[in-house]
Amino acid sequence: MPGRCYRGRLKGGKVLEISINGKLYAAAAGEKILEVARRNKILIPTLCHSEALPGSASCRLCVVELHKEGEVQFVAACSHPVSEGMVVQTESQALSANRRRLLQLYQLMAPDSSRIKNLLAVYQGEPLTRLTADTDNKCILCGLCVRACDQLGTSAISTVFRGTHKKIDTAFAQPPVACIGCGACYNVCPVDAIAMEDQLGQRRIWQKSFELVRCASCGEYYTTREAQAFLQHKLGDQGVDLELCDCCKARRTAEKYRDGLHLLEIYNIPQG
Amino acid sequence: MLKKTVYVCCGTGCLASGSHAIYQALQAQVKTLGLAVEVVPQIKKTGCHGLCQKGPLVHIAPQDVTYIHVKLEDVEEIVEQTLLQDQVVERLLYVDRQQGKRVVSKHDWTFAQKQLKIALRNCGEISQDCIEDYIARDGYAALRQAVTAMTPAQIREEITCSGLRGRGGGGFATGNKWSLTAQAPGDIKYVICNGDEGDPGAFMDRSILEGDPHTVLEGMAICAFAIRAKRGFLYIRDEYSLAVENMKKAIADAESHGMLGQQILGSDFDFSVEVVRGGGAFVCGEETSLLHSIEGQTGEPSPKPPFPSDHGLWGQPTVINNVETWANIPVIIQRGAAWFSAIGSDGSKGTKVFSLVGKIANTGLVEVPMGITLREVIFEIGGGVPRRRKFKAVQTGGPSGGCLPEAKLDLQVDFDSLLAEGSMMGSGGMIVVDDRTCMVEFARYYLTFLSEESCGKCAPCREGIKAMLAILVDICQGRGREGDIQLLEELGKMVQANSLCGLGKTAPNPVLSNIHYFREEFEAHIHEKRCPAGVCKELTVLQIDPQLCTGCGACVKVCPVDAIAGEQRQPHVLDQGKCIKCNNCRDRCPVDAIVVG
Repeated sequence: MPGRCYRGRLKGGKVLEISINGKLYAAAAGEKILEVARRNKILIPTLCHSEALPGSASCRLCVVELHKEGEVQFVAACSHPVSEGMVVQTESQALSANRRRLLQLYQLMAPDSSRIKNLLAVYQGEPLTRLTADTDNKCILCGLCVRACDQLGTSAISTVFRGTHKKIDTAFAQPPVACIGCGACYNVCPVDAIAMEDQLGQRRIWQKSFELVRCASCGEYYTTREAQAFLQHKLGDQGVDLELCDCCKARRTAEKYRDGLHLLEIYNIPQG
Repeated sequence: MLKKTVYVCCGTGCLASGSHAIYQALQAQVKTLGLAVEVVPQIKKTGCHGLCQKGPLVHIAPQDVTYIHVKLEDVEEIVEQTLLQDQVVERLLYVDRQQGKRVVSKHDWTFAQKQLKIALRNCGEISQDCIEDYIARDGYAALRQAVTAMTPAQIREEITCSGLRGRGGGGFATGNKWSLTAQAPGDIKYVICNGDEGDPGAFMDRSILEGDPHTVLEGMAICAFAIRAKRGFLYIRDEYSLAVENMKKAIADAESHGMLGQQILGSDFDFSVEVVRGGGAFVCGEETSLLHSIEGQTGEPSPKPPFPSDHGLWGQPTVINNVETWANIPVIIQRGAAWFSAIGSDGSKGTKVFSLVGKIANTGLVEVPMGITLREVIFEIGGGVPRRRKFKAVQTGGPSGGCLPEAKLDLQVDFDSLLAEGSMMGSGGMIVVDDRTCMVEFARYYLTFLSEESCGKCAPCREGIKAMLAILVDICQGRGREGDIQLLEELGKMVQANSLCGLGKTAPNPVLSNIHYFREEFEAHIHEKRCPAGVCKELTVLQIDPQLCTGCGACVKVCPVDAIAGEQRQPHVLDQGKCIKCNNCRDRCPVDAIVVG
């Protein structure tokens, strides 16, 4: 089958064949068009997509053409499931024109974002001068922060209002009681629109201050006391090193694998 | 003893003009007459009779007399003359301009001639809160037939063969939808009625929910039997309080009569329905948003696929149909698919209800067979454009549809013809505009509505509408620039192609269709800084033509800012410094002496 998959094998499900830009690729039932395209290094731009937080389909940059019986349908690659014999076109004049216009609108929302600027350059777009850019704004309302907070944190932020008044905010624009300062929203934001400041052992985010804690191994500040307690509560005693920063945690995991200790743990063989 | 029935229209339009007080007065009057008379009139509160313009409407059977614009002081006369002495009160009859005379019965109005009532068959004919009235007109006979003499597959087949397409606007084949849901894996299935009608100027669904609630329940129950669902939800727009009240009463009555609930009509089929009140968002008419709203989540759409027929309410296969679609189901089951599919055009079978509003003589609710031309609906049923004004365009499909000009008046009204011309059937709003409507301003109005009503989840819809609206506001206020029309078109195409749900995909239609058919008006605004219709205040100068002015003084009386002065029988003068361009004088002038400069 042409178009080898990049990890060598597909995740479970029936194997299908779909056509992207005239070439055939293997795909598993249930996969989305974007997954197949990314695995095969076909560029489809996205802003709201994250493998960890899929399914929003709100930035609409990943819209591609689906050709069926002489008709063209526009679908979002990130949410549209593959089907046998599907014919997908990820680049065309119409798609480029639409992406260019859409990116111009994104640039009016977040004029300083380098990510938007770069994407606009890919589609040879000039800034849209006919309309006034919102120079005070950075957010493009992709909603990744809200999904991150829902799934990793405490649902402290959400979208508020609707239509052209929509924005991301805390409840009643007050410092959110639920926020634990984990920074998931900050880390996931594609346009650096969320302000988070770590200084002198203190973190400031969403009008709230948190005390930072140090990694037990390297001694660097890495999270807030509240976030640590939250994870402790959520994960319980699963043997996760909550007192380590991400870097040290990765190192320790690697060491465990190296020493083969994980096998003993997996098969529940008593150590020593 | 002779029985007479007085039907007082208590639909939205007539209620607003005071029909409830008339209903109460009639009842009181009949009561005071006591039992001495031989007539026992029954006074009934009904749903919409159709001709809302002439409300409050009172219809008396069996004489078949219809009175219009009935006032409280007319009640005594109606009882004395018509109920007791069988006399017609001439002055309360409808003057049919097309026939040039007063017409006694609503069934003989020109307004009624080309109509065919299927979904509205009971509206105005039965008491809106009485299940016995519904049953007396063959109500629940179709459900009985379905439950006792048909299999679920036969019912689905019948609906498929009828060619019925969803009346909410999308036009998806109803039979297909039911079959897909029936075949989807899962034991739990749901039936939902979409009563979140939100188009400006549309009140078709409202009238059915208020005036004939049982037909919706019967349609849903037949579907539930056909797809083996046990629960149904009626999602009704929160503003429709009378619809909610009547529906709740109808559900309770149907349950006590064994038409809903456990072991319906003695079979082993159970089905219960509950009312869910919407949260006041236009976008909740979109089916995935509606599902989220019922689930208690924010009313925002999610991508399709998965479709509700596979993954609907709480993840279970779900049928969602519009109110009017449900109202057609009992008739199709009872009279058969062949009868239904004989009505209408090739791709669109049956009838469609329209709320005919705007600059039209007969404002109201009409039901016409598919395939009828726009001209017939507007000029024959609707009676044309009043006040010597000229027809300019008709807007169908509400904020998702488009405007069609005079040249398209002979177009057939059906799903595919309207779509091919850049408009759409939509749920049935039909707004007629005359030559005093600015098409740029009209497009701006719809985009303002959509900018408030877009959920704001996806960027093309939210930001695209915002950008198009900003450009349209500029054009209306004289800041339009070279290239604006092209930019509007390009943005519109992007929003159509890239938006997440049906709201966004159709949001640019009012702008694109207006540019397509009325480009010269956009150009006049941009290049000549002139609003040909005289609506956009910044671009309009009103003047009195001294050649035409007869000095009658009518304009002076209606000017709210005293900007017009002049001697009687002498040409008047308009003070530009004071004029606020409200157009009152222009509408009032009997000789059209006030012109747009």
